Amino acid sequence: MLDRLEKIFVDVAVLAIILLALLIFADVVALNAFQSSVPDTVIIVRELMVVAIIMPLAAATTRRAHISVEFASKFLPVRIVNWLIVFGSVFGALALMPLVWSAARELMHQISTGSEFYGDLGLPQWPGRLAFLIGLGLCFVRLFVMIIVDSIVAYRGGKNLTGSH
Amino acid sequence: MDPATIGLVAFALMLFLLALRVPIAFALIGVATAAAFAIFAFRTGTFLPERAFRATSSLVFSNSFDLVHSFDLSMIPLFVALGNIAYRAGITTAVYNSARVWLMQLRGGVAMASVIGCGGFSAITGSSIACASTMGKICTPEMLRLGYDPRLATSSVAAGGTLGSLIPPSVLFIIYAIFTETSVNKLFLAGVLPGLLTLLGFIIVIWLWILVNPKVAPEAAQPASASEKLRAAIEAWPAILIFLIIVVGIYGGFFTATAAAAVSVVITTGIGFLQRRLSVLDMWYAIRDTCVQTTAIFIVAAGAKIFVAAIALTGMAPALVQAVTDAQFSPVMVLVCVCAVYLLLGMFLDPIGIMVLTLPLVIPLVESYGMDLIWFGVVVVKLLEIGLITPPVGLNVFVLSNVVGRAAPVGLVFAGIWRFLCADVIVLALIVSFPMISLFLSQAVQ
Repeated sequence: MLDRLEKIFVDVAVLAIILLALLIFADVVALNAFQSSVPDTVIIVRELMVVAIIMPLAAATTRRAHISVEFASKFLPVRIVNWLIVFGSVFGALALMPLVWSAARELMHQISTGSEFYGDLGLPQWPGRLAFLIGLGLCFVRLFVMIIVDSIVAYRGGKNLTGSH
Repeated sequence: MDPATIGLVAFALMLFLLALRVPIAFALIGVATAAAFAIFAFRTGTFLPERAFRATSSLVFSNSFDLVHSFDLSMIPLFVALGNIAYRAGITTAVYNSARVWLMQLRGGVAMASVIGCGGFSAITGSSIACASTMGKICTPEMLRLGYDPRLATSSVAAGGTLGSLIPPSVLFIIYAIFTETSVNKLFLAGVLPGLLTLLGFIIVIWLWILVNPKVAPEAAQPASASEKLRAAIEAWPAILIFLIIVVGIYGGFFTATAAAAVSVVITTGIGFLQRRLSVLDMWYAIRDTCVQTTAIFIVAAGAKIFVAAIALTGMAPALVQAVTDAQFSPVMVLVCVCAVYLLLGMFLDPIGIMVLTLPLVIPLVESYGMDLIWFGVVVVKLLEIGLITPPVGLNVFVLSNVVGRAAPVGLVFAGIWRFLCADVIVLALIVSFPMISLFLSQAVQ
């Protein structure tokens, strides 16, 4: 279920990157060829950026693509490294909690006030905030799952997967 | 507890967590949030946590969200996507093939072509690691097949990969520009000559290596005919076109760096489709890789933005500037110390991590000495590039070893890399001694 959700989120992010590339391209063409511009390009691209960057966060966590320093831990036995990996996920989940909370608070504020961007289309401000919250929220859930799975592996004396860095 | 003490504890805690292999992004976010909370809570002298919640929440959200919610920064995923799409469309391979055909009559020509290929790929992507990874898949296996010494076959590509950060577009320059509020366009131009100088240095290293020990490279092949050379050069036209779109587009005043990224992505995809070398599925997978790569970059940058905001509250940067001023260090001494710190950190940390951890403290210091931030950006990126190939944690070396497999163990790559490190140090000394190498193009365009 979580894997499928992450895959969908990554595909949504792919779509966001394609859309923002096409939008900026169309704006450049319109500006240079017709001396006009696509309305609210900057606002739409900024909203798409949130989708493109934050939605794949859980998938990046699953692939252990987060950059970490493995120099010191290289000299440690596998058993200890396993528990360090678990600790990294625990710390990650704790670090994300205030961010998830403040993102939820900000989303509620935007929805309740009905804030809009200052632009031609009067676009609402909440979609980007919602994508931000959903992306972070799913990453938090993924970290929680990883803590459990990695702890079991570490407890049984197996070897946890590590990233490429 | 005073803010400066909180700042010092935050830095110490950061280093401790990094040593425990906590992902850099999470360490930055967690420590910065705790530091900001402590500073707000102790603001009146007594600990009042209820006062700190709202301020910390606002600081954490606004700094991270504003970074991601950015039009200008959309050039990072776009430039990364450009590299991935160009690779899948065979454009990268064409650059390497072209250089190979032109240099095949030289002993070691394929190794030189690999470094030139890295330079070509660097001109259409912004990441050193992507450059080493992509070119490692193309060049190293072929050099090994032709009978090159494995040390030369691996270290030339690991070193060549570092060009990705210096030759524009460059993700490191974009991140530097965010944290120092300098012009990305000027930084891109400033990186061109140092990048080409580095490329030349690497070619000289290969030439000298083979001159001293001819056994490391096979005999030179028969030179290609003029028509073969011409055909190979023509095949590389998409890469040249993409580079021209970026350079002429930006500096001809047609569009911004962000727009250049989008235009080149659309045109590269179009070329790939027209040449039937790229399917929709290929494009989709290329952008999927892009998503994961850029998310990992952005979450570190977002964490760094929160960390920078928290450190700003501590007043550590002005205190450091004051301390250095009081100690009456000369600019040269400061620069030597800064270079030493970056080289030392480069041995253990990744470039983005080093940048985001050090810039909040180093930039005010450098500014107080009246140094040019564009030139300093080039120096920093060059130092970070060197860090990518210095033992014990040379990321490019690990990436290359990873993509090539058993034929390129890490120790073997490091055994060849020191020659390229010598060239890097000479180029660094030139860039530091003669700032005009970096500033000439941006001043000329201005």
